[in-house]
Amino acid sequence: MQPAEHAAIAGSVGPAPEGGEVSSRTGGRSLALDDFLHNKRAMGGCMVVLLLILFCFVGPLIYGTNQTTVNLNLANLPPGGGHPLGTDEYGIDILGRLMVGGQSSLELGFAVAIISTVIGALYGAISGMIGGLVDAFLMRIVDTLLAVPTFILLLIVASMFTLNLLSIILLLSLLSWPYVSRLVRGQVLSLRTREFVQASTTMGSTRMRILFRHMMPNTFNIFIVTTTFAVADAIYSLSALSFLGLGPPPPFADWGTMLTNGVNDLFDSYPWEVYPALIALVVTVLAFRQIGDALNDIASARSTR
Amino acid sequence: MTWYIVRRIGQSVAVIVGVMILTFILVHLEPGSTARAVLGQKATPAKVAIFDNTYGLNRPLPVQFWLYCVHVVHGDFGISYVAGQPVSTLIAQRLPRDAVLIGISTVLALIIGVPMGLYQAIHRGTLRDDIVAGTWFTLYSAPDFMEALLLIAVFSVHFHVLQPSFTGGITSVGGLFADPNAMILPVIVLAINSVAGFSQYMRSSAIEELTQDYIRTARAKGLRERLILTRHLLRNALLPIITILGLSLPNIVAGAVIAEAIFNFPGMGLLFWQSALSHDFPVMLGATLIIGVATVLGNLAADIAYGVIDPRIRHAAG
Amino acid sequence: MSRTHRIAGVAAALALATLVAACGGGSSGPIGGGSVVKGQKIKGGTVTIAEVGASPNDIFPLGPATNSNGYNADLTLGLWPPLVYSGDGAQSIPNPQESLYSSLKYSDGDKVITIVLKPWKWSDGVPITSRDFTFAYNLLKVNYNDWFNYVAGLFPVDVAKVITPNAHTVVLDLTRSYNPEFYTDNVLATIPLLPQHAWDKTSAAGKVGNYDETTAGAKAVWNFLQGQGSDMATFATNPLWKVVYGPWKLAAFQSSGYYAWVPNKNYSGPDKPVLNEAIWTPFTTDTSEMDTLRSGTSLDVASVPLNDVRQIPALKAEGYSVAQVAAPGVAEILPNFYAPVAGLLLRQLYIRQAMEYLINRKQIVQKAFAGYADPGNGAVPVAYGQQWDSPLEKAGGPYPYDPATAIALLKAHGWKVVPGGTDTCIRPGTAANECGAGITAGEPLTFQLLFGSGTESYNEQNAAIQSTESLGGIKLTLKSEPFNTLVSTTGTCNAQSHPASICDDWQLQQYGYNGYLMDPSGAGQFNTDANGNYGGYSSPEMNKLIDATEYGSSNAAFFAYEDYAARQLPLLWLPNASTVFVYKSNLAGVTPLNPFSGLYNPEVWYYTKPAS
Repeated sequence: MQPAEHAAIAGSVGPAPEGGEVSSRTGGRSLALDDFLHNKRAMGGCMVVLLLILFCFVGPLIYGTNQTTVNLNLANLPPGGGHPLGTDEYGIDILGRLMVGGQSSLELGFAVAIISTVIGALYGAISGMIGGLVDAFLMRIVDTLLAVPTFILLLIVASMFTLNLLSIILLLSLLSWPYVSRLVRGQVLSLRTREFVQASTTMGSTRMRILFRHMMPNTFNIFIVTTTFAVADAIYSLSALSFLGLGPPPPFADWGTMLTNGVNDLFDSYPWEVYPALIALVVTVLAFRQIGDALNDIASARSTR
Repeated sequence: MTWYIVRRIGQSVAVIVGVMILTFILVHLEPGSTARAVLGQKATPAKVAIFDNTYGLNRPLPVQFWLYCVHVVHGDFGISYVAGQPVSTLIAQRLPRDAVLIGISTVLALIIGVPMGLYQAIHRGTLRDDIVAGTWFTLYSAPDFMEALLLIAVFSVHFHVLQPSFTGGITSVGGLFADPNAMILPVIVLAINSVAGFSQYMRSSAIEELTQDYIRTARAKGLRERLILTRHLLRNALLPIITILGLSLPNIVAGAVIAEAIFNFPGMGLLFWQSALSHDFPVMLGATLIIGVATVLGNLAADIAYGVIDPRIRHAAG
Repeated sequence: MSRTHRIAGVAAALALATLVAACGGGSSGPIGGGSVVKGQKIKGGTVTIAEVGASPNDIFPLGPATNSNGYNADLTLGLWPPLVYSGDGAQSIPNPQESLYSSLKYSDGDKVITIVLKPWKWSDGVPITSRDFTFAYNLLKVNYNDWFNYVAGLFPVDVAKVITPNAHTVVLDLTRSYNPEFYTDNVLATIPLLPQHAWDKTSAAGKVGNYDETTAGAKAVWNFLQGQGSDMATFATNPLWKVVYGPWKLAAFQSSGYYAWVPNKNYSGPDKPVLNEAIWTPFTTDTSEMDTLRSGTSLDVASVPLNDVRQIPALKAEGYSVAQVAAPGVAEILPNFYAPVAGLLLRQLYIRQAMEYLINRKQIVQKAFAGYADPGNGAVPVAYGQQWDSPLEKAGGPYPYDPATAIALLKAHGWKVVPGGTDTCIRPGTAANECGAGITAGEPLTFQLLFGSGTESYNEQNAAIQSTESLGGIKLTLKSEPFNTLVSTTGTCNAQSHPASICDDWQLQQYGYNGYLMDPSGAGQFNTDANGNYGGYSSPEMNKLIDATEYGSSNAAFFAYEDYAARQLPLLWLPNASTVFVYKSNLAGVTPLNPFSGLYNPEVWYYTKPAS
């Protein structure tokens, strides 16, 4: 999923012509916690995410299973009798795997979202602050990364190397920051012309100071929105990668790989190996996108108020 | 305006060179010997040497890159390691098929998405808005490969009404239509992927237009609501869709890789994926380059079109 | 969809098989559905064959060294079958009816071979003569290094001279004696005859001459034919490829791998095609192929990839019959005897024995391969048949699953055994009850197992092995790599190549199977300087036993070699997945599958009217 489309879905981060300015509809004012707390979609999404985190990270403490020992004699057992959701093709309990797999999925999502947002924000802000030829050069790098679908670049690397959670996090982060950087740069460019920034420039503030005191706080809205979408995207990308057989090998588990392993049995045989992971994946992605979307609504509502 | 277009074209060329450098570096990250990857475990050193010599893999990387650039400028994308065919031939066979597939599915997505977004804008904040948005959001959030497989499970495996794959020989673009049944599912899957984007974009664009003065004036003048919607709102709200079309191209291409793999559709996505698995560098480079160029051109066209319509953009562009 | 690398894996496995010759060796009788179809034979009809990941890209039957595509043999087998036709039904013997020779005589201590050709004709009506053999030989003599099927030391370099006393007789004068069975099965079965009267030219417009008789001319002809042979756009139209002697002609070809055979009307052999057309349609992914099979379409015959054998009941419900045949080869975990530290451990026979005792092969066959696999008792598949299988192999091999024996073995050699943990050496030294040369006190018994990613059955198999090995305290770490990356980063490790960084990176490797020709010889696999001996296994005794099977003429020699190999564990034996197929139930003649000649022989297939 390309971030551009989320922006479209979110609807308020307007068109971002290449190298051009970003609509400033989200800009200027920070999201108010109050708005957020009163937004049903945002709160609903947050509740779901919270429940998922509890399920994945606290769940295993209550429902302990052996997730490491393979026993083919216990493979593909239907739900019931000590395995509420049955076992998979390795003889491992699916409910327990759902929890452990969810840990990887969520860790991946959060890590990629945070890393790529931080890189993108710094890059975009610095590029926008410096301006001129350096800015033009830095933005061509961003354009280059945006010109090839992230998923294509991911496939190239994944076809050569065996990935693990850490390397996928790094890889997705490295491929996902350019969009953020372009948004932030646009924001910085428009802020540069505002009175308060010009005032502090005339008062002799250093560029860095302006960047961190004025620019960053004012682009915060963009981070929040893109971060939420990035969580969903990362989880989704990994599942697609696994589906194409290029995800991390066992015993690594995430919802995407669980889904993929069960996919050949979609039509009959062992439905319990497919649907729990599918539901978990869709619910998670949906929850994060709802939060992102709601945040966007709040931001645009405030800016047009 | 001319200056703006020239500058944008200059930027695009820079980006295309960037794409070439990027993919070249990525592809050559490969650990170990490419020749062994292609020839197999029993390849003798002699065979590996022949292979490396044939494809120039024994030369320094910068030299390889320079030669690659020179060849590309002359329209030569190299020879596929696996197929032994010119990459340009392989791409030329498949690109038109993708144009058809992506074209049809995008048009379908617009036909569904635009009225849907308009409907939501008019009924914004109501249950109807939420239901439509929720439906598309859920479809959009489910992995597209699962949607594809579920559709296959229902329409192909259970009811035996739709074909789940392209079989047989497809020699020309027209060949795709020889078997229209096989086109239905891939088109639907790709369209589902785009509809949410188009409709939500349309929705916010229309909501914004609805607050504009001209709509209020029109209403104040007592124009019929239907007329306002079609004549004024739709036309103005549609403009930003041009941009989103350009921007969503990479996403559609990525979706096409998965859809083509599932539906055995002999297009660029499948070609790319197969070449990635077999470490067929020339094909990977060629395919990525084409995708990059298509995206850049798409954006360029959208920008220019947008610049023509809205003069503010070209002044703001950095 | 775990098809991903399996596609590469299958292609490479096929390539391995075809490398040694046009196809692998080793078959079983059909275990799945027999194809006794009642009903009336229908003349004509079209059969559509689905294959996953199959896309041939070269049509010249003597493909270039740089082309490892195993599917090329499938494309060309029906057009230019080799001099010796491999496989009679599913049996690993030559098929004299389908072969071009009427007699093969070995004389002068098995150094001279006299080949008499049948009076068959090319498709353009020109008789096939001994000149067509010398044409192929002349081309190979000059260009063998650029021929994919070339095996070091064998044809054509082992030929001293070729004499053609008359138009139907070829006498090969070899530089050494061979076991006739070996030479016929594994060498002559890789050589096709080429139409000298049509192909002996150096350009498309040029005249046919005797260019092959000079070195420069043979080079020019070779380059011309190979160049034409890789031009996929003209496979079905090039006049060169219209001259065939097999039962089929190529009618259509596309670069995607789609192609169609139509009967060669002038085919001189016994099995003239009944069908009007055989169409190959490629699938990129097994998921896509399975979906199609299950949606009631027109596919008549289809390979069922390893990951999908569980869907067979559903396919039966769609009106398909199932056939399976043992893949001609041996599956294994390959130990690297030259890996730092781990190599020292692996050199100890008792450690390899303990590891083999800790592999539950029966369970793997049932669970990971759904029963469609050879048990992997030793160096030769059980299904290979009477002629090749020693009593030891048939009885389950020397090392059945037995954790208690494995633990006892390790304890007896000075290891502290920690089931579920990691064993350590407590009695270093080289005495019989000590750990062995180079193994220090406290050395842990742990290895990394490297394997190709993306094949679900292999994932399951290796996870199960890891789990059972730990019962004896042998700790395996699993690491999988994309198949092609695995191949490109691991090198052959032996006394010559060592030390090399490429040998330091792997300890144990599992990547599929080694293909056999009709004669499941250890030559090329376990002898010290074998091309396929990647792990550096070296034993003078083994070399001697293999030479006896290759150069000697004693049939008993084979069992001696086979049992020695099974016991010595140059590789850790694993179950080998079978080749599984489905076919429309009204199609007769599909089984027995012939795994030595491309599996499919549509020339003997026909449709039947359902018996009413």
